[in-house]
Formats: sequence, structure tokens, C-alpha cells
Amino acid sequence: MSNPVLFAQALVKSYQSGDRRLEVLRGVNLQVLPGETVSIRGESGSGKSTLLHLLAGLDSPENGSIVWGKETNPDAVRSTGYLGMVFQAFYLIPELNARDNILMAKRIQGGLDQAAYARADELLKKVGLSERANHLPSQLSGGECQRVAVARSLMNFPQVIVADEPTGNLDEQTGDSVISLLIDLCADMKTSLVLVTHNPSHAMRTQRQLILKHGVLLEA
Amino acid sequence: MPWYLYLALKQLFSSGQRLFFTLISIVSVALGVMLLIIVMSVMGGFRYEIRQKIVDTQGDLQVRASGYIQNASSLEKVINTVPGVLASTAFAQGVVMLEKDQKPSFPSIQGLDMRTVEKVIPLNRYIIQGSLQDLDDDSVILSSQLALSLGARVGNAVQIYTPLMLEVAKGQDEVLLPTELKVIGIFEIGHQQLDSSTVIVTLRRMQQLYGLGHGVHGINVRIAASEDADLVTARINAALQKAQGKSIDIMPGLWARSWSELNQEFLWVLQLEKNIMTVILLAVVIVSAFLTMSLLLVLVLKKTREIGLLGALGATRKQIALCFCLQGVSIGVVGTSLGLIFGFTFLHFRNDVVLLVTRFTGSQAILERFYQFSEMPAHTAFSDLVIVVISAIVLSTLAGLIPAFIAARLKPVEALRSE
Repeated sequence: MSNPVLFAQALVKSYQSGDRRLEVLRGVNLQVLPGETVSIRGESGSGKSTLLHLLAGLDSPENGSIVWGKETNPDAVRSTGYLGMVFQAFYLIPELNARDNILMAKRIQGGLDQAAYARADELLKKVGLSERANHLPSQLSGGECQRVAVARSLMNFPQVIVADEPTGNLDEQTGDSVISLLIDLCADMKTSLVLVTHNPSHAMRTQRQLILKHGVLLEA
Repeated sequence: MPWYLYLALKQLFSSGQRLFFTLISIVSVALGVMLLIIVMSVMGGFRYEIRQKIVDTQGDLQVRASGYIQNASSLEKVINTVPGVLASTAFAQGVVMLEKDQKPSFPSIQGLDMRTVEKVIPLNRYIIQGSLQDLDDDSVILSSQLALSLGARVGNAVQIYTPLMLEVAKGQDEVLLPTELKVIGIFEIGHQQLDSSTVIVTLRRMQQLYGLGHGVHGINVRIAASEDADLVTARINAALQKAQGKSIDIMPGLWARSWSELNQEFLWVLQLEKNIMTVILLAVVIVSAFLTMSLLLVLVLKKTREIGLLGALGATRKQIALCFCLQGVSIGVVGTSLGLIFGFTFLHFRNDVVLLVTRFTGSQAILERFYQFSEMPAHTAFSDLVIVVISAIVLSTLAGLIPAFIAARLKPVEALRSE
């Protein structure tokens, strides 16, 4: 059996809400294997985004541990491009065109070369936006923006992509096409996917479906 | 190009509303720099022109005594051996009454040693009629405005009355006869005071007019262009002290003073004016720095989620801080460059601007009368240029530091969650 690309154990996270402490995650365990696609569903406020932020190394758990491949330092993980991220609100940089937004992931990692430009063009082709490479986010539709965000998440050949409700801001049809694109690209590139979604039909398209309930992950 | 510089420039110079705000910040810095460079250059120009006029009419430094200098040639020999000294020339000066066709005037008079004067004082440069070479003991050169007010032209005769005549006349029933001299030239220096009331004669004639015998009032000294006047002055003073002990020809009580020492108070006032103007105008640059800071603070607040994204993509806090700090630096560099271009362009056309303004206000004569110059002077010292450039860029950089610090403190997860 291959080593997991992402291994989370006994994650605990809580927030202070007024006088009381709200325990959002109460010992979450998760293992993602290379090339595996996993969905996480749950009610609003169940802690899905909190869990995803922990898995992306953007936040630290109060208890428990996360190992990304063999790395335990979240800063090191982010700086190596091991992880790709897709957000509900796209978060494209408005001053950069589609191509430069994708390249930004590589610029930050360093080593922007001709191969990186070729990779960005290849990704634009894969997400069907070759013709719109020089368009600014303000000139793109919501679905197109999310496609650019998907391409950006794949720019650095990540081992795993964490996607936080990537269809949340899109209509149903566009959302479906974005999920199809994300899953297909991950399969093509043998990249693992952790998808947080509200939508059961999107969740059903992943290999493994999990539900976050009462602060723990359960098999659906 | 590092990503933070790339993004900083993209954010600053993107099209639309943001570009408008960036341009306002840049223009405000440019205006401050332009005003600073113009004012500092014009003030510097006054000082430079005044120095030039002083040096051209008096030499770089003067050697004087408390009374007359009796043995000028021995003294000149000592002075000319001092390192840095190019030449020296003796002079005598005073005030006379000048009369032409019953029209009197009371100009200052300079007696120049015709053998050596041209090595020290480039008077030929300022002669507009006649020639300095034609000056002899029976002739005189008048300043332009004095000639105009007396109605004197080259070839006319003028009468000179000196204080010596009063001394002679005391207690005696003598008729005072003036000395008649022929006008052989007219000079114009461009300094209102000198042009309005100065007469030049030979040293020998001046010694006769004032009854000085072989005495002179001082020695004008020219030094090499590469030498510092104060340094050479100190060398001459040391040489004079040494010579006074050795030679009976060198009288005691002699001292050398550089042009800046001789005009110390006037130069101090000029410097004070320049410093005050610099401080006041620096406030314009400070205000523009605050404008830049508010622009960048708004940007940081508006871009909170993007800052979170940059963190998520692997950007370090230092790099995010640099991204915003460099925007302040860029505004400073571009604004300063434009300010220098605008400033030097204005300085290039300054006389046309002044002419235009004075033509409309009819104040050209007043300008010449009070400011002594027919053209607006300008001289940009390298040190002034460095002060302006560094202060503008440092202030703009400081303006970018606070927004950069706030941006760097944002945690990616909090930034991404922000509304």
C-alpha cells in the first residue's frame, strides 16, 4: 500500500463564542492516498472549512497532527507547492490576466521559466480558456474564473488539492462542469483531491465520501 | 523579477480607478520634489551668482591691513609663493564726486594695477564699450548705469573731486580744481549695485587722487579653481605671519580673508533663507507621503483576501510586506524622477517664465533693483540634489512601511475568512 499524501490524526479545534467555547473538531482522522478523491459534506457551521484550512496548513490544530507526505511543517508544505487550493470565492488577482493568475502560483514558488509558461498554456487549454488567456478576471464569468482558479491550483504539480466548496458561487450547470473538470484533471495528473461540498451529487463523484458531524468524520 | 515587485508594479499601474489614485500620489510627490529643486536651485543660484560677482570683482580672497599697505610688491611676492595662489594684484578704493556738465554723482572708485589686474579680475569680460587695455592715468572706465545717469559716453570728459581736496583746502584759500579724466570704456557686470555707481581708474591715478604715495588698500588674490578659498586663506595667513618675522618689508597687522569670510553675514542670511524654504517645502513631500500611506492602507484593507491567498500560495510575511513597501518606494522613485524632470525643465525656462510674469505685472525694473540680477539665477548643488532625492524616496518608503506591516501581520486563514 502507498504512503498517504495527507494524514491527519485526532484533530481538535475550537473557537471562543462569547462566554462559551465551541468545539468544532473533536478528533478528526483522515487519510488520503495518492490519486484518491475524497469528499467531505456537512451542515453549515459543522466545521468543514475549518478542517480544510487545517488540511491546507493555513491554520493549526489545538491537538492532533497532520503529515503531508513526510512533511509536518505547514509553511514548508505551502512553500514547496505540495498542496493546491481552490476556494469558493476564486480569489483571482484582479490586476492579472488569466494566464498571469495561473503563473502567480509558480512565481511565488520561484523558478519561473519557459516550461512554466508552457505549463500555464497547457492548463489553460485543459480548462478550455486558451482563447481567454489575456482576459482579466473582471472580463470572465464566474465559471471561467473558477476554471482559472482550478488551473492555478494545478500549476505546481501538487500531490493533493484541497477545494473548499468550489461551486458555492456558481449556478448548478456551471458548478457541475467545474466539478467534472476538477475531478477529471486530478485523475489525469494522478493528484489527490479533498473536496468540501454541500452538493450530494458532486460528493458522489469522488471515490470516497465522508460526512463531518458533531466534530468527527464519518463514512457516508 | 521577484513576484512581490512584479505584483507591486501590476497593482500600482493597473488600468482604471487604481491607476488614477496611483497617479495622484505620484503627482503629489513630483510636485513636492519639483518645488524643492526649483527653490533650492534658485536660492543656490543667488549664492553662486553672488560668489561669481564677488570673485570676478575682488578675487577669491583679499589681503588687507588696518591702514595702508606700503610695500605692496614685496607682499605680492610672498602671497604668490603660497601653494594654490595663481596671481595677485594691488588695489586702492574709495569714494569720489564725479561731475559731468554740472551733473554730480558720488560713485565708489577702484584703482587697479594695470600690470597684474587681468590675471586676477576678468574685467575685460564685462567691458561693453571700449577696452581695459586703453586705461591710463588720464582716463576712466564707468559702470553702465552711472554713465547713463550722467549722460557720459566713450570719449567724453568727466571731473573728479576727491576727499584729499577737502584736506588740502582746510584753512587755505585755495580754489579746488578737479581732475579731468577721459571716459575710455563702459562696463556692466549684471549686479545692480556695482553697475549703478562704480568708477575704475589706474592704481597710480587713485594713489594720486587719495594721496596714498605708493600705498594701496589691499591685494586681491586669484586661486586655482580646484583649491578651497578658505584653505588657501589659512595658508596665506600662515605665510604672512612667518614673513613678518623675517622681513622688514612685510608690515605687521596684515590679514587675508576669503570671499565667504568677507561676506559672511550676507551669505548666512542667504543660507538661512534657503534652509527655511527647504523645511517648509519638505512639508509638501511629507503631505504627499501621508497621501501615499492612506492609499496603501486602503489597498491593504481592500486586498485582505488576496493577501490571504498569497500566503496560501506560499508567500512569506516578509515577501508580502515587501510587496506593499515596494509600492511606496515605486511611488517615491517615479514621483521623484518626474519631479526632477519638471523641476529642471522649469529651471531651464525660468527666465522666460519670469519675463512673462514681470511683463504682465510690469515689475521687471523692480526685480532688477531689488534682486540685483537681470536674469533669475539658478545653480543646483549636487548635495542639494542628493538631499531632495533621498528625502522624497525615504519618506515614500516610510509611507509604505505601515501598510506593509499591517499586511504582513495578517494570517492567511483570517485574511481568507474576512468579509
